[in-house]
Amino acid sequence: MKNLRIFKVFTLMVLKILLAALVTGIFLACVSTQVVKAPGTEERGGPSPTPSQIYEKRTLHQPPQLAGSGEKARKSVLAFIDWASFSTVDEQEDARNVIAAARDNDDIANVLAEEAERARVANHSRALIVLSILGEMRNPRGEEYLRNFLHLPFPEGGTLVDGEIVEQTALGTLQAKAVDGLAYLRSESGDKEVLWAVANHPSRVVRAEAINAYLWNHKDSNDARDVLRRHVREGEEIFLDRVRRETGENAESFNRKLEIYLKTHPEVIPPPPQHNEGKTQQDGSEEDKRSEYPVNQPPIW
Amino acid sequence: MVTSIFKLRVFLIAALWLATSVGTAYSVCNQTAASQADQDLWNDHGCWEEYFLWQYRAYDMRESDWNGRGWNDACNINLEYPKHWNAAYLVTYGLIDNNDQSFHGTIDYRKTAEAAGGEFHNGLYHTPSDRTDIFGRFAPGSPGNLQTACPLYNATSANANPGSRAGDFMHEGWHAWLDKYNWNNGSFNGHRATQGACTATNSCDYFYFHGISKYVFGAMWENDGTANRFHSPNQVQVEFLCDVADQPQSWVPASVRIAAQTDANQRSAQRFINGPGYTCGSPRPW
Repeated sequence: MKNLRIFKVFTLMVLKILLAALVTGIFLACVSTQVVKAPGTEERGGPSPTPSQIYEKRTLHQPPQLAGSGEKARKSVLAFIDWASFSTVDEQEDARNVIAAARDNDDIANVLAEEAERARVANHSRALIVLSILGEMRNPRGEEYLRNFLHLPFPEGGTLVDGEIVEQTALGTLQAKAVDGLAYLRSESGDKEVLWAVANHPSRVVRAEAINAYLWNHKDSNDARDVLRRHVREGEEIFLDRVRRETGENAESFNRKLEIYLKTHPEVIPPPPQHNEGKTQQDGSEEDKRSEYPVNQPPIW
Repeated sequence: MVTSIFKLRVFLIAALWLATSVGTAYSVCNQTAASQADQDLWNDHGCWEEYFLWQYRAYDMRESDWNGRGWNDACNINLEYPKHWNAAYLVTYGLIDNNDQSFHGTIDYRKTAEAAGGEFHNGLYHTPSDRTDIFGRFAPGSPGNLQTACPLYNATSANANPGSRAGDFMHEGWHAWLDKYNWNNGSFNGHRATQGACTATNSCDYFYFHGISKYVFGAMWENDGTANRFHSPNQVQVEFLCDVADQPQSWVPASVRIAAQTDANQRSAQRFINGPGYTCGSPRPW
């Protein structure tokens, strides 16, 4: 009886040791395979085409039209948003022409406003696209929507992410896009809202864009600056002189503007950078504990 | 004996569960959708396998960190790893590199974001973070760890677009540059307290203004020890986003360009003690 008990205990111990060895083996196998395992796909088979091959097959400069009423207008708007959002730099004028042609279509403006409402909480980059189209359109219904959008209650609190309340930034950036549209109307009513934003909007992002858009739409004139000086908040006058880097602007033009800005505002020149105390500069030769993969050049686009 | 066998079974089940779950990092980021800008850029390459098989090496990414986040489903744009490489694709191919117009070149942005050690930083690797209170973080070490967090991946977040995500690669990569050369950029996670024209809470930098063509492509890492030739993390981020908005390849979708411009301009207005920084692009709506 006693021998049988010793045998059972011994067998149990051997089993436990074997099991521990098995688990360790599985663990090591998992770790070693994970280090070398490349990412993969669940659905793909065979080599995928290169982006240049995909791009060659695209039909450019054929935007869908913004037209119709009722359900046709809705379908037209949805198709155009998809096209415009994906459109290339070279298709910018195509988009502008289609939007301009729809300027008097209130149904189109209404559907765009509905889409902006839908996207503003769920899909920020889509909301930016829709607000941009509405602003470019210069339609009275669109103006009404952009004005109401600008006055949406601004959140006082929310989620702090790396120093900013993201609900404020999210709405503020969309309202800044709405301000662009109101300024682009170049009308008394549009400018009234832009100047209200310069003075009164709780977001610095919106106030900054309102100043920028007002100046740009008034050709950066001295008269426009005089108007803005009467509205800008104390301490934000510098936004009237802010350097704008425009698409396609060359170095000579940009650098001249920057030079003037720094001469006008020497107070913005920062202090010299400082080294940390008590630490030595790394020379870059330190060997990494986690070895790097061998990396070649990226594949040809 | 019955008790012992029962204990053994429990032990066996627990051990097998442990063994099968090793390396699985469960995500709390929302992986149910992708933003318009992510989807549009994705449609440009249609899930380019050859690229992501290069990218994970260039960014030093491992299955143990990205499992459960699309590592084994790399063509599903709703997931974190595909969103990461979608942003990397923008960095690798998305800029035109016009020396007379761009702030910096692709070579600068790639070397800031990618893993390899060199003049821009010592070696680093990319991991996801489930934190919801940061966009990203650089943890010094050997190698350093560049983390990108949920607000760059959750589709409803304003920063969940390829430009902003890649912009954070630049931001965190520049913390690695500061670390390599031992620069002190402040005591709040490598930033300065709220002061001057900066309205962000303890996440402020200086803007070291410089003209275009003042850095040849590949020389962004250089400094002369003065404010004349230096960069801060937020500044590198803004300049990258500006280049995406104003100096992109023609095929970069409008949604990506507009989101990049928007992020650059809000960051430029809020995060600089001696701000504002530059404003990017035209305020014409389209």
